[in-house]
Amino acid sequence: MLAVHFPTAVTTEIQKPGASDEDRRLAAACAAGESGAFEAIYRTFGERMKSIALHHLGNVADAEDAVQEAFLKVHRAASTYSGEAAFSTWVYRILVNTCYDVLRRRKRRREEALNEEEGVVFEWKADTVDDAKRLTLRKLLADLPEQKRTVFTLFEIEGMSHAEIASILGISEGNSKWILFATKKQLKERWNTNQ
Amino acid sequence: MKNDHIDDLLLEGDEASMRAAGEHAAGCAECAATLAAWNEISGTARSLRATWQSDMLWPRIERALREERRGRSRPQFWQIAAAIALTISLGAGVWRVVHVRSEEAAFDRAILRRSALDQAEQAEKAHLQAINELEKLAEPKLEEPESPLMGSYKEKLALLDDAIADCETNIARNRQNAHLRRQLLAMYSEKQKTLQDVLREDSNVGKQ
Repeated sequence: MLAVHFPTAVTTEIQKPGASDEDRRLAAACAAGESGAFEAIYRTFGERMKSIALHHLGNVADAEDAVQEAFLKVHRAASTYSGEAAFSTWVYRILVNTCYDVLRRRKRRREEALNEEEGVVFEWKADTVDDAKRLTLRKLLADLPEQKRTVFTLFEIEGMSHAEIASILGISEGNSKWILFATKKQLKERWNTNQ
Repeated sequence: MKNDHIDDLLLEGDEASMRAAGEHAAGCAECAATLAAWNEISGTARSLRATWQSDMLWPRIERALREERRGRSRPQFWQIAAAIALTISLGAGVWRVVHVRSEEAAFDRAILRRSALDQAEQAEKAHLQAINELEKLAEPKLEEPESPLMGSYKEKLALLDDAIADCETNIARNRQNAHLRRQLLAMYSEKQKTLQDVLREDSNVGKQ
């Protein structure tokens, strides 16, 4: 069994990929309620937003509702976008927080933390691992605490950098690395027993 | 290399660290198993990225955004209710002020009317008193008219008295009728003038 220890070189500062002129223009257009701006965001980030929401909420219907809710929140808050982070980072932060809200509402309603896809079929990308492994991992992810699940989803599934994740979650990059490491160790412990 | 060293490499997770971990695992069965599980989880995770067709999602979002914009521009129910309540309160306040003022004005008008009436009645009384004085002076001449002219004056005064009596009866029914009061005043003046003519005629007759 591997010993858990604190990382030797943890980066404590939060890296915030700054906003570009395009980000500011997009935010201004959203604040002005321009439909074209929202459509551009959907075309650019929509697929990833849906995927992130799905891995937090576990079913397509809730994931799509969360994406829609996130767009409404972007519309309401676009005028407050400060430009400290990239606009996409800001949008993902809103989406992740929306997913947390949904999970908390679920918890209050004493529902299952995560359900199966409720009969909605979606197409998994072609890969080298079999469906049994994917199912195992999804079950293990469902049992993780919110933040661990988010860091794992954003890094391992969505391929984001620790700098981006740190900015989305408002944590340091080193903390993001540490959370991922701890999560993977936890998953590894259960991985073999669930196969 | 100890296990905590491979942990350091896995924690860093960058390309160089993972290559170093791989090199170490080649000669360490325990670390090899750890690294294999580590990579298997990462590989499985990469295949979990989900894509699915959702043709209706964007139209749904667009509609929700449109409704949100419309909702922002349209006053909310509570705003309408508050506006109605405010309007009613203001209306009631304005009505109250106007009502109180009109009551005060009506009260003032009534006071003025009563005051004017009192003044008119006092003037009538003084006029009547003066006429009564003249009537007393003219009475002996009119009792036994010595000329046809004096007889005519007597008849005229009798007619004026009847008309004055009728007019006073009507005024008693409506004290504030200014028209009747003007008629009464005209008749009193006519009576006064007639009595003065009687007295003047008497003195003329005396001179003749």
